[in-house]
Amino acid sequence: MADVELTDVKKTYPGGFTAVHGVSFAVPDGGFCVLVGPSGCGKSTLLRMIAGLETITAGDIRIGERVVNQLEPTERDIAMVFQNYALYPHMSVYDNMAYGLRNLKTPKSEIEARVAEAAQILELDPALLLRKPRQLSGGQRQRVAMGRAIVRKPKAFLFDEPLSNLDAKLRVQMRIEIRRLQRRLQTTTIYVTHDQVEAMTLADMLVVLNAGRIEQIGAPLELYERPATLFVAGFLGSPPMNFLKGTLESPAMVRLEDGRELACNAAHAALPRGAKVVAGTRPERAVVRPAGEGLPMKIELIEELGVGRLLHGQLAGSPVTVAIAPDQQLAATETIGVTIPAEAVHLFDAESGKRL
Amino acid sequence: MIENRRFGNLPAHLVLIVGVLNVAFPVYLAIIGSTHTAETIANGQLPLWPGDQLVENYRRALFVGTTRTTRALVATMLFNSFVVALAIALGKIAISLLSAFAIVYFRFPFRNTAFWVIFLTLMVPVEVRIYPTYAIAANLNLLDTYTGLAVPLIASATATLLFRQFFMTVPDELVEAAQIDAAGPMRFFRDILLPLSRTNIAALFVILFIYGWNQYLWPLLITTRDDMQTIVIGIKKIVATHDALTEWQLAMATAVLAMLPPVAVVIFMQKLFVKGLIETEK
Repeated sequence: MADVELTDVKKTYPGGFTAVHGVSFAVPDGGFCVLVGPSGCGKSTLLRMIAGLETITAGDIRIGERVVNQLEPTERDIAMVFQNYALYPHMSVYDNMAYGLRNLKTPKSEIEARVAEAAQILELDPALLLRKPRQLSGGQRQRVAMGRAIVRKPKAFLFDEPLSNLDAKLRVQMRIEIRRLQRRLQTTTIYVTHDQVEAMTLADMLVVLNAGRIEQIGAPLELYERPATLFVAGFLGSPPMNFLKGTLESPAMVRLEDGRELACNAAHAALPRGAKVVAGTRPERAVVRPAGEGLPMKIELIEELGVGRLLHGQLAGSPVTVAIAPDQQLAATETIGVTIPAEAVHLFDAESGKRL
Repeated sequence: MIENRRFGNLPAHLVLIVGVLNVAFPVYLAIIGSTHTAETIANGQLPLWPGDQLVENYRRALFVGTTRTTRALVATMLFNSFVVALAIALGKIAISLLSAFAIVYFRFPFRNTAFWVIFLTLMVPVEVRIYPTYAIAANLNLLDTYTGLAVPLIASATATLLFRQFFMTVPDELVEAAQIDAAGPMRFFRDILLPLSRTNIAALFVILFIYGWNQYLWPLLITTRDDMQTIVIGIKKIVATHDALTEWQLAMATAVLAMLPPVAVVIFMQKLFVKGLIETEK
């Protein structure tokens, strides 16, 4: 077990493309850190650099006491779970898990004990250990891939989008298992995903990346409730946050594009009157009123989710989504009224995208 | 697809049967010929039914040799052919596996150049470089040796290309997983790449063994002693006799015996090959 620290890590490919621009963060010992971002944001590159599968152009990566920049993957004492599992197809499940230990000259009895322990933790039937990977289901392969990581007892687990190849139901189940496993083993974990739900549910510490730069670091709820940038605000949360363009009329009031007023909390950096801003609001924080009250919203589509309903429509010239409880009655009108509590309005500078 | 054919599959089957007979009949004649006496065949009236000389003819071909042309025994020549074909097949596979491994998995200067140079040798068959190759073999005292018979035929661009293509389909994650699992390059090669290539190796072995077995020109040049001849040369020498009657019954027996090892290889390896085809998932 060890903490992992990245200091100003950069990656520039030989062609001149810079995938990662100076990234720094530290994962405490036993922490679960999720790197999340859209495809091409450099999250996988970052993970591969920590694993030692990619060279580091600049900066330092420290695992425990050692700076590992120049070390081979094996010497870094990490274990990695790949998106397509990367199980050795010709080896039995047992051999897949034992292979790394054998290469490290671990005594046979020790290997047997560790594989048995991992199989038991992952609830893998002993009969499965004799099978080949192709005879397993997707979820079982995923478990074997995790077993291969567990038996090594590494300083850190690295997960590279491990659930992407599973179907939706299994993904939710494995997500919970991964979290439980990590709690139990208390091994420092760095997990890469593009799925914000996975990121929110798994992480102690969330690192949102965009175009090779860190947008924000923090606990999942902290990021959800106080997104530092428009990007983070739009990326986290499903359905995503609604954005309304406007100008700052007074410290506590935004005039929207259609001329209506939106009250907001005044606790933000002073911007000159008339500055362009973007007001963000979570779909579940908007309150539906009868037509005529609040801001008028034209409904275009209603999605029934069972646990609630999503109203999609237009408000002040922008597309918005409002989430309501399943038992809430809705007037059969095309336009409804919507009010947004002032404390539920996030203000961002329209130019820089930074939170105000 | 539903077709309304008046005679069913009859015409197609007829064509196929004629084709099969065309190929099989000469083989049948060879087998029949090897069961009669020399006199029966020399009459020019080869019967269509087996004679009673089967055991005697094969015993003579294998262990006694022809009476008029004192040539090597078929048993010796079969052994020579077997050693040479095996050496060529295994040598080609070993060398091309390693060179494909180097080309695909290592970054070294002039890697692409190396690949293209190997590729170019495809255009230079043995026959084209036969004189310089002979000169080299002769200067190295390799005439009439197994080394001389096999080594010049071992370098193989075809097999290298085939393994290169196969290695490129092996997912990168497997290499990376092996790296994390503390497997160095050669251990990765031995533990993961070789077992995955098993079916390719089997298929190539069949092709290359037969290629080695059927070599004619090079063994003809490099061997001068009768006891180093390969079976293919032996057939030619038994048939082409001067001032003497060709002992056709022995020539036929030799031909049949020469056919057996490649057939055995095909039949035996086919099992592995088909098994590999069923287990396609990587």
